[in-house]
Amino acid sequence: MSAVKVLIVDDEQDFATALAERLRLRGYEATAIFSPDDALATTKEMQPDVVLLDLRLPGVSGIEMLMTMREFVPGVEIILLTGHLDLAQRIQGMRLDAFEYIMKPIEIADLINKIEKVGKHRDRT
Amino acid sequence: MKIRRKLFLAFTIYMVLALIPSLFAFREMDTLRKRLKPVEIAGDITNVFLNVRRQEKNFLLLKDQDSLQLLRKQIAMLKGNINDIETDIIRELGKQNYQSLRSALTKYEGIVQLLSDNFTLQHTAVNELTRLGRDIEKQLSERDLQTFLVLRRHEKNLIIHRDANAIEQFRSVYAPMRASAPAELSQYASIAERLYLLYYEEKSLDSEMRKYASDIQTLVESVLQGEREDIDNLLIMSMYLLLGALVTILTIGIIINTRLANSIVRPIRLLEKFTKRVATGDFSDPPVIEGSHEIAALAMALNQMASRLKDTVSSLELAIRNLHDKQEQLVEAEKLASLGRIAAGVAHEINNPLAIINEKAGLMQDILQLSDDFQHKEKFLAQIEGIVNSINRCRIITHRLLGFARRIEVTIEPFELNEAIRETVTFLQNDVLSKMVRIDLNLAGDMPEIRSDKIQLEQVFLNLIKNAIDAVAEGGLISISTSRRDDQSVQVSISDNGPGIPKDMIQHIFEPFFTTKERGKGTGLGLFVSHAILKKLGGKIQVQSESGRGTTFVLQIPVRLLPDQEAPQ
Repeated sequence: MSAVKVLIVDDEQDFATALAERLRLRGYEATAIFSPDDALATTKEMQPDVVLLDLRLPGVSGIEMLMTMREFVPGVEIILLTGHLDLAQRIQGMRLDAFEYIMKPIEIADLINKIEKVGKHRDRT
Repeated sequence: MKIRRKLFLAFTIYMVLALIPSLFAFREMDTLRKRLKPVEIAGDITNVFLNVRRQEKNFLLLKDQDSLQLLRKQIAMLKGNINDIETDIIRELGKQNYQSLRSALTKYEGIVQLLSDNFTLQHTAVNELTRLGRDIEKQLSERDLQTFLVLRRHEKNLIIHRDANAIEQFRSVYAPMRASAPAELSQYASIAERLYLLYYEEKSLDSEMRKYASDIQTLVESVLQGEREDIDNLLIMSMYLLLGALVTILTIGIIINTRLANSIVRPIRLLEKFTKRVATGDFSDPPVIEGSHEIAALAMALNQMASRLKDTVSSLELAIRNLHDKQEQLVEAEKLASLGRIAAGVAHEINNPLAIINEKAGLMQDILQLSDDFQHKEKFLAQIEGIVNSINRCRIITHRLLGFARRIEVTIEPFELNEAIRETVTFLQNDVLSKMVRIDLNLAGDMPEIRSDKIQLEQVFLNLIKNAIDAVAEGGLISISTSRRDDQSVQVSISDNGPGIPKDMIQHIFEPFFTTKERGKGTGLGLFVSHAILKKLGGKIQVQSESGRGTTFVLQIPVRLLPDQEAPQ
């Protein structure tokens, strides 16, 4: 079983790089990027298994980003990250199969659990 | 009594009372008018009597038949006048005096007749005396003639002077002649004697007639005088009667008017006072005005109006109070919404740097754990652990704040309250089992379906039951009951047998960031958020706590959260 590929998209550079490194220390193939433009290109190129996506990226609606990513990588699992709860966006996110949702600051154990679930999900499909 | 009838009655009484003295005065005037006639006649009588006296003088002077006739005519007229007002004269003089008047008149008339006869006899005697004298003169001798001429001179003296002296002288001259006197001479002398007698008689008749005339005059004048006095008295009486009538009318008028005015004005004053009081909002003591008159009807209408006004005012006041309450709720909701927005903004701003700290500290931990031992490795790890714990505390706080902000929005759906409570309890099963707590459910069977925000109410139940679980000792008891309060609201009470809340703290428990739990275990937001949710959903949360016996939270929840009760978003 190859390493699970995780793409972190967050404009908080410090957060994204630190989290990426912690995931890598735990054996994941984690990449962090900080701008939505890069995000789509990298997604297309990298074909990640899991995307950790901050819904509040400057200039882009998180929902649009989700839909585009789904086009580029069919079957990709998306976990939404946010410092802010937004009910409407959450519901829409659910309908798009963004079935997990994590509030910042993240508990690493919690995140690992979710990624593992996603991994198992992916293995079955 | 109706005012119109009252006025009419008063007016009628007034008129009748005024009419009575007026009628008396009228009758008095009428008597006066009737009495004027006799006065006039009495005046006439006086005048006629004066005429009688004038004719009497003429008669006595002229002694002829014409003047006698004129005198008789006047006397007849006087008698007629006296007959005309016989009753009045009797009233004035009395019966006796009237009789004496009549008899004086009759006697007067008789004397006039006697005088008239006397005058005729005188005339005849004088004529005969003159004729006999001339006859005798022719037959006498010179010597006898001289003596007889003396006698004739005395005869003339007698006719002119008519006194005793004249007849004495006549007699003295005649005496010597008597014995030898022829028949003619003695006849002449006897006629002279008779003439003297007639003269004497005339004198006494004359004086008698004057006496009667003066009697008649006195009586007639006293009749006139009496009549005049009567009229005068009548006039004075009428005057007093009129004066009395005037005073009576005035007095009665004033009394009737005053009483009438009082009876009309007094109730109006009462109404006026009440109206003024109503104007100041005092509806107490409505005036009681008995009777069936217009003012009583007015008072009744006014009282009805006042009581309706009172109802209207109180319903307006109620409406205003409701409006105030609504306004306060709106303001409260707006405050909550603002607070929510601020809380969310702060939480979000803090969450991002907190996330960075979290990842950096986490990375440090990771790296240290993978590293070989070095001098202060354990110390470093301990420090990092402290950082991570603090971050966790911060995270709980910011998540609660964000949760509070999200709960500002309300989603109404119909649901069963009992069901929601059961779900919440099920959700807490792990905590219940781990602490060996017993939860008693006393859920009422007749609970209505609720229309409210189910998720938020579940959040409240969750907070309260969790607090209760935290409060009780191991094996503690928590009882939850539901009941129907009225048609509009239901009640949920959650009790525990924990240590209770100290009295000095109970007033602060719904304030944000207030907690009795040990440091790091409570956020101080659970009850604050629950309170805010209940308030927003139109309900209430109350707490009863007794030190050492436990705490009970009582929730009142409206059955139906109407759209206008929802807080704005």
